[in-house]
Amino acid sequence: MSAVTPSKPYESHLLRPGNTNCAGCGMSIGLQWLDEALGDEQPVLVIPSCCGIVTAGAFPTSGYGVPTAATTFASSPAVATGISAVSAMNDIDNPVICWAGDGGTYDIGLATLSAAAERNEDIIYICYDNEIYGNTGGQRSGATPVGAVTSTTPSGKVERKKDIMAIMAAHRIPYAATLSIGHREDFLRKVRYARSVKGFRFLLMLSPCPTGWKSEPDQSTELIELAVRSGLFPLYEVFDGRRYRINQRPDSTSIKPYIEQQRRFREVWNNSDALQAFIDAQWQYLDGMATVFPAKDI
Amino acid sequence: MGRTLATGNNVAGHTLALAGEANRHARGCCAGAYPITPQTEIIEFLSGFKFNKGRIVLVESEHSAMGVCIGAALAGARTFTASSSNGLAYMTENIYAAGYYRLPTVMIAVNRTLGPPWNIWVDQGDSLMMRDAAWLQFYCDSHQDLADTILLAFRVAEDKRVMLPVIVAMDGFVTSHTQMVVDMFEQEQVDAFLPPCVIPHKLKHDHPSTFGGMTFSSETEHHRYAIQQSMEQALPVLEEARDEFENIFGRRPAGALETYETDDAETILIACNTMARTLHNVVTERRANGEKIGMIRTKLFRPFPRKELLAAIGNAKRVAVLDRNHSPGSGGIFWLEIAATLKDHADILLQDYLVGLGGGDVTPENIHAIIDDMNKRTTASEPEWKDTSI
Amino acid sequence: MMEITICGRGGQGGVTLAKIIASAYFLKGKYVQAFGVYAAERSGAPIQAFVRVDDEEITNHNQVQHPDHIVVLDRTLIAPGMDATLKPGGYLIINNPVDKTEFKDHFSGRKVATVDATSIAVANDLGTRTVPIVNTTMAGSIARVLGLTLTEILAALEHLGFTGPNKTCAREAYKRIHITTLPGEIHQAQAPAGKVRVADIFDEDVGGMPKIKTGSWATEKPERRRLTPPCNHVCPAGNDVRGFVEATGQANYDLALSLLLETSPLPAVCGRVCPAPCMDTCNRAEFDQSVNVREIERAAAELGTRPAPNRSTREAAVAVVGSGPAGLSTAYQLARLGYPVTLFEAGDELGGVLRTGIPSYRLPRDVLDDEIDYILSHDITAHTGCQLKREDMLRLSREYQAVFIATGLQNVSDLDLGETDAPAPVQGLHFLEKVRQGNERLDGQRVIVIGGGNTAMDAARSALRIGASEVRVVYRRTRTEMPAIHEEIEQALEEGIILDELVSPVTLVDSANGPVLTCQGMKLGPPDDSGRPRPIADTSPESRYDLPCDLVILALGQSHDISILPEGSVIKEGEALLGLSGAPFFVGGDFATNAGTVSAAIGCGVRAARHIHRTLSGEDLFPPPEEPIASSDQIRFNRFAHQSRAAVKTLDPDQRRRCFDEVHLGFQAGPGGETSVGQGAVSEALRCLSCGVCNKCDRCLEYCPEGVLKRDDKTDGYVFDLEYCKGCGVCMTACPRGAIYMAEL
Repeated sequence: MSAVTPSKPYESHLLRPGNTNCAGCGMSIGLQWLDEALGDEQPVLVIPSCCGIVTAGAFPTSGYGVPTAATTFASSPAVATGISAVSAMNDIDNPVICWAGDGGTYDIGLATLSAAAERNEDIIYICYDNEIYGNTGGQRSGATPVGAVTSTTPSGKVERKKDIMAIMAAHRIPYAATLSIGHREDFLRKVRYARSVKGFRFLLMLSPCPTGWKSEPDQSTELIELAVRSGLFPLYEVFDGRRYRINQRPDSTSIKPYIEQQRRFREVWNNSDALQAFIDAQWQYLDGMATVFPAKDI
Repeated sequence: MGRTLATGNNVAGHTLALAGEANRHARGCCAGAYPITPQTEIIEFLSGFKFNKGRIVLVESEHSAMGVCIGAALAGARTFTASSSNGLAYMTENIYAAGYYRLPTVMIAVNRTLGPPWNIWVDQGDSLMMRDAAWLQFYCDSHQDLADTILLAFRVAEDKRVMLPVIVAMDGFVTSHTQMVVDMFEQEQVDAFLPPCVIPHKLKHDHPSTFGGMTFSSETEHHRYAIQQSMEQALPVLEEARDEFENIFGRRPAGALETYETDDAETILIACNTMARTLHNVVTERRANGEKIGMIRTKLFRPFPRKELLAAIGNAKRVAVLDRNHSPGSGGIFWLEIAATLKDHADILLQDYLVGLGGGDVTPENIHAIIDDMNKRTTASEPEWKDTSI
Repeated sequence: MMEITICGRGGQGGVTLAKIIASAYFLKGKYVQAFGVYAAERSGAPIQAFVRVDDEEITNHNQVQHPDHIVVLDRTLIAPGMDATLKPGGYLIINNPVDKTEFKDHFSGRKVATVDATSIAVANDLGTRTVPIVNTTMAGSIARVLGLTLTEILAALEHLGFTGPNKTCAREAYKRIHITTLPGEIHQAQAPAGKVRVADIFDEDVGGMPKIKTGSWATEKPERRRLTPPCNHVCPAGNDVRGFVEATGQANYDLALSLLLETSPLPAVCGRVCPAPCMDTCNRAEFDQSVNVREIERAAAELGTRPAPNRSTREAAVAVVGSGPAGLSTAYQLARLGYPVTLFEAGDELGGVLRTGIPSYRLPRDVLDDEIDYILSHDITAHTGCQLKREDMLRLSREYQAVFIATGLQNVSDLDLGETDAPAPVQGLHFLEKVRQGNERLDGQRVIVIGGGNTAMDAARSALRIGASEVRVVYRRTRTEMPAIHEEIEQALEEGIILDELVSPVTLVDSANGPVLTCQGMKLGPPDDSGRPRPIADTSPESRYDLPCDLVILALGQSHDISILPEGSVIKEGEALLGLSGAPFFVGGDFATNAGTVSAAIGCGVRAARHIHRTLSGEDLFPPPEEPIASSDQIRFNRFAHQSRAAVKTLDPDQRRRCFDEVHLGFQAGPGGETSVGQGAVSEALRCLSCGVCNKCDRCLEYCPEGVLKRDDKTDGYVFDLEYCKGCGVCMTACPRGAIYMAEL
């Protein structure tokens, strides 16, 4: 293990020290690992209104050490399309990467995202999913899990989490995968693979928000590891929207340690049946898909 | 191309394509495009055009269409698009973004009434809705004016003293779908007229920065002030552009406004777009009867050419504004601007007439009636609604 | 109108605090206004909130410019000039622990009220560890300063829906607030700076580094620490177990061996015979299996190159009596320190129990000789066949500057089996000595060994090898209580030795068919002094039976013979003697402690050498007190993948039971079983978790969300950039072995 990023001068870190992300922000870890995975390559980041652009801080300085375009909330895939199209016609190879929260991905930006995927634009789209509208104080989004308390679902969300991976797979894009900040080698491999293929690539990263989840910042990576091991957040890849590869099966870890460390789950601490049903249904589907449509030769 | 028979949409589509292609030795061109009546032929034309270095991206909404233009401009390409009515409304957020980002996109607004209730006919309200978005706005009365103004728009927008996007408006159906004779351009001429597009603040890899992130009030204030100053620069830059245009194409297109018979006019009527052509004929007729009538066609709406307008009004004491648009709770939007222009001229009787809202055909009879009404007046009243639906 | 400015950090509830204060006055019929300066939602970032209170309607919506009071929710926000806009006579109300006094430097002349709101809030579980919510607590202290009653502030809390712990905290703070006026003059406000140039989007130089030093957000800081690995803690020789295992994992056998040789000159021996308490305490046992440390030690001894011995440099000479492991260890350590050492051994060969008590199938002769030769290659003169007695001690005390006695356990425990014509029982150690000399055969004989320790096992297995037709080990408790090394018992059983548990011998008699040992069945009773269950005779008649045998071997333990010591000597803490003039005397090994293992003896030698050195030179080489032990609680097992032990080879029982070839053959690699000690050693060593000691796995660096951890070759670890570190603690959690902790700022 030889992380390259820390030895670069601070100015050229993708996420620079002095940024205003909360201590223990999952997005920060994701950005560090994105930097590591890309190595010497400098991407263009396209970031809609979300915590990710507040990261940059106030003009004229920037918390990002790579060229970054701030877009309106729903527009990042469209703006990225413009940049990618012009890059392609000018033989510029720097990867164009959308870095968007769940709000801009699952909800307001879904149409834009869908269209860019349908056109198979040459973009890497990474959603850091903290399961709320974090930047506006923690309201529910389509990504909020069933039972979670948010500022607009004070008794716990009734609806279950939208399956954005299934939606993206249905677009038959070359590559879709989930990422975990508790599983570094898997994360780096997937980002590097995404970089190595062309067309629309969608990566979904479950991202702890200590402020919104009411969790301890130092537990951010542990929580995601628990989410993966309990089966709540599966690690898997979908190739061409048709072939499935599961990277890690759930072990016998209960959902309880995960939810008990987050006050947003207080309504389900004593009754996690709905969440468990969600997990079971999710794995029934994934196991089925991976059996019938395995990604054998990749 | 030379002398051609074409619709307004053909003219717009073709001119945009030539302008985009002219940037093929630089970063190329790119457009996000989404159809809406009465603009569809523009994007259909663009979709069929074989660019050497360009791409038309067919997106899923107008909001994304402008998003694509923003991205492409941030990458340094020449950008353009077209929309109307509710398409412009849906695009609004990104229209403001492009303006505040100071990206020199050119957008054809094929003027159409906003809804619902749905109405596909002409009304300037849709493009005027964007008047606060830091875009220049031109209103074209003819196919030739449209073609010429589109080229002028790129030239002025991309000038580093301006560096702001531009709306070029035409009347829906009346211009867009009407076939007329027009002198179209050759690619070499457009290549000669438009320098390569250079966007000084585009995304750079050797000097990364964040474009459009959080900004505090002092930077925002400074930013808005700089935009205003650049708006003011648009007028002298427009004059330079007209000079250059004349050198290459042999004719001088209209500038901020056109005057007709205003020198000794006692009453002046002001209108834009095709209504101004009808007005032109009526003025000719009334002049033949000895009336001292004149007209001003307001072509440039943003920046609003106050000085030029005052000079054009001259000594006339009666001014009538024909507004094919309306701001509910106030009055016609051109009237509001002109009233502000005339704030130090209490002696001028300024009267607003609301005509052709929702696309009604404004006939010479309608205009005669307005002139007659002006002649009878001793004072101005609230905006007059002239029913043109016969 | 009263105006209050609240300075805090995002997440501490500053804006809500403004509302609480406003509520208190609202309930009293006043006009109030409460608001914050809004930016993005950032935990930890500095924020401001304002309160206005007036008898008339408030129309001013500007931010407060000249507050009547300033509240500081976080003392790390205190900076010079913070009080510049405070009106004269106004209070600074600060959340400040009792022992922090920076505020005194910055607020001279001001009235200051302090309370440790953080402790109160944390004690009542308000907020998270990194961002405790102190607002309701501070409400209590502020109320006191403003002249509100406790009832009034509690009503305000209730008005906003705060109950229980919040009210408790407010009450507490109301009581505990400490109010004072600082001496000195109030600092004058600085003249405002001139107009700053505002940046433009077309500027060439936009995009620079952010200006905020986010280290100011942290309420804790990460620090590296070095805990004591449990293996190091428990090793009787004091070896750096973790250290030599790590070196082996890096295939740096020379380093591994030199680390071992710091404390033990007998790694090849211990790598074969040590009971390895380190392995019993290895944290990895909770995960899959303990690390096979003993095998790694053996491999390091085999693969590493020893450093060259040094010559003596000192005048003072030391005498060591007894060349068992304790004596050899002491002699070695002293010779390394530069002392000339003379070693006296009663037997014909050096080594003590290493040679006479451990059979060659466990410890080959050449291995032992090789290690002893290395020890002697230091400036050590050895005299064998030299049995010293009490009267020699006086001479030694005059000829040498220090004397160390480690003569081991000379007395053996006997057992009365009654008068008999049968051949007398033989003492295990004597038996082993005869076997060692190669003279003994027991072909066809039935042998019974009485005892449960290593000597019993050695005697039994040796009897088998010299031809015994049947060997039984009779032990009065069960296998669990047997003190012998577990592997020894297992190997003995594999070789066909029979273990008779819960049996105690009674008498040995001769009979027509040969000698017979009458045995009594036993039961386990309550624990005795040794802590093990006391064996109690089973009273049922079937419990007594006879075992035919040809030879009985006794291996019932040994004790020391202190007749060598001068009269009036006292063994103090096993280490020193009193009562003799002249050179100081030290004792060690089994002679002093009866600890019974080679490694304990080696440890005695290390300590004895340090004692002697300190006495002779004044220099204290004893290590500082140990750091806390890294328990399994410090280890994050989920970081590691299960991995079974590297394969080791033992001779087949049928092959080995009739010869003295070494039974245990060390690491093997490959399915064909070709010996590749290095591969096996490296792979086993990499199973070590390095409990409590950083092994530069880089995980902290990889997981730092801010990218402010760098490798630091100067400190052999990592350096944290505290200018930017936000104190999130992810590095602490990322470390799999507890080498990082979060310390107070």
